[in-house]
Amino acid sequence: MSREDTLQILAGFIRDVIGDEWDDDMEVAFDTSFSDDLELESIEFVALAESVQAHFGDHVDFVGWISNLELDQIIALTVGEVVDFVESCR
Amino acid sequence: MRVLFVVPPLTGHINPTLSVGAELLSRGHEVGWLGHASKLAGRLPRGGTLLALGEGDPAHAAAVSRKARSVRGMAALKVFWEDFIAPLARASFAETEERVTAFAPDLLVVDHQAVAGALVARKLGIRWVTSATTSASLGDALDAFPKVAEWQREQVLQIQRDVGVDPVANADVSPERVIIFSTPEVAGERSSYPDQAVFVGPAIATGRSEVAFPWDALQDRAKVLVSLGTVNSERGKRFYDAVCTGLGAEDLQVILVAPESLVPDPPPNVIRRDFVPQLALLPHLDAVVCHAGHNTTCEALAHGLPVVLLPITDDQPVVAAQVVTAGAGVRVPFGRVTAAKLSRAVRTVLDEPAYRDAARTIQASFEGAGGAVTAADVILALG
Repeated sequence: MSREDTLQILAGFIRDVIGDEWDDDMEVAFDTSFSDDLELESIEFVALAESVQAHFGDHVDFVGWISNLELDQIIALTVGEVVDFVESCR
Repeated sequence: MRVLFVVPPLTGHINPTLSVGAELLSRGHEVGWLGHASKLAGRLPRGGTLLALGEGDPAHAAAVSRKARSVRGMAALKVFWEDFIAPLARASFAETEERVTAFAPDLLVVDHQAVAGALVARKLGIRWVTSATTSASLGDALDAFPKVAEWQREQVLQIQRDVGVDPVANADVSPERVIIFSTPEVAGERSSYPDQAVFVGPAIATGRSEVAFPWDALQDRAKVLVSLGTVNSERGKRFYDAVCTGLGAEDLQVILVAPESLVPDPPPNVIRRDFVPQLALLPHLDAVVCHAGHNTTCEALAHGLPVVLLPITDDQPVVAAQVVTAGAGVRVPFGRVTAAKLSRAVRTVLDEPAYRDAARTIQASFEGAGGAVTAADVILALG
């Protein structure tokens, strides 16, 4: 699976988490920021982590990974960094 | 008994203390407020004593306020601590100690964000309770982000080192009592809060408002109040457009709190006002659209009204999540709001009875909790 495939899977989960609030015209790209662009709240981020981990399996310990993020890393986090994390677990 | 409230310059944090203080005064106790005169003067209940703290440079305060309004989420948490709470604590510690010593209270009621008050209470050996306007700062919202929780604990430790008191853990929270102006029906499981927490429900102000309102213009159809609260109204151009386009086309009446400059030409079913007598208005309404500020949200729920929440910053996302989880409201992202999304959200809370039912369950929990009266009981029990 390519980085692009992983991005699309993540984008699907992001849409699920945002749910009814999703804007059809909003793109999810590698440089999309969770905080500034998606306005994902921290609780939504936790929900996203849980569903991504359930999809890929526990060897992709997304929940554990975000628990190690510092405040500044969370503020600046992009979708691409999560893609890279998922890829690194393969 | 002589009680002193220590409050930060935040209207939403001051408001509940005014109700509790009024209750204490009515029972014959002596009550003072230590904080910024610009936020307290003219607002204290009759008989209350104002102890004014130096306010520093107003231009700096305005700059911090602008910065705080430009960020959200975890970035807002960082700004809140680094640019507001910590500097406030450092700047006001010595003066707080001086003023508290002179007033010689039997008990301090310290807002959770007025850290200097907590440190002074400990240093002087005066009993104190924490006043938590919003439950958001005490719950488990940061559990999934242990490094962030650790960072926040370090902020409190660093403040203690900076002002020269012995740094101890959890110095910002009273070991005796934490008064939370909410109930577990909204704030979530009791077990996620400190053992010494007491849920008293919102302490909503009473008394008549001086704000005029065109009462005769209210119609016999569903009525919705739309307000972004006291500090956010100028952030809302996109939002107000969505209100006018979306709700303007619905069969309901909208009471919109907004500056005329941003809503110069509202549709016929929208009453736009700079201010409204919110508490007098709520009994006439069917739903509230707001920014999930703790006070406005609780006032709506206290009237059994479902809420559409567009959290912007600070504790608002946590408050919004609490209400959504309790089933009494739906959330719409403020930055991505559209006319269609806003209309759908308002129709949902109006048309699906489950939202109103959940709001009424919360309303009953507020009534049972006792608000300012219970808060006063908790305070006096320590005297």
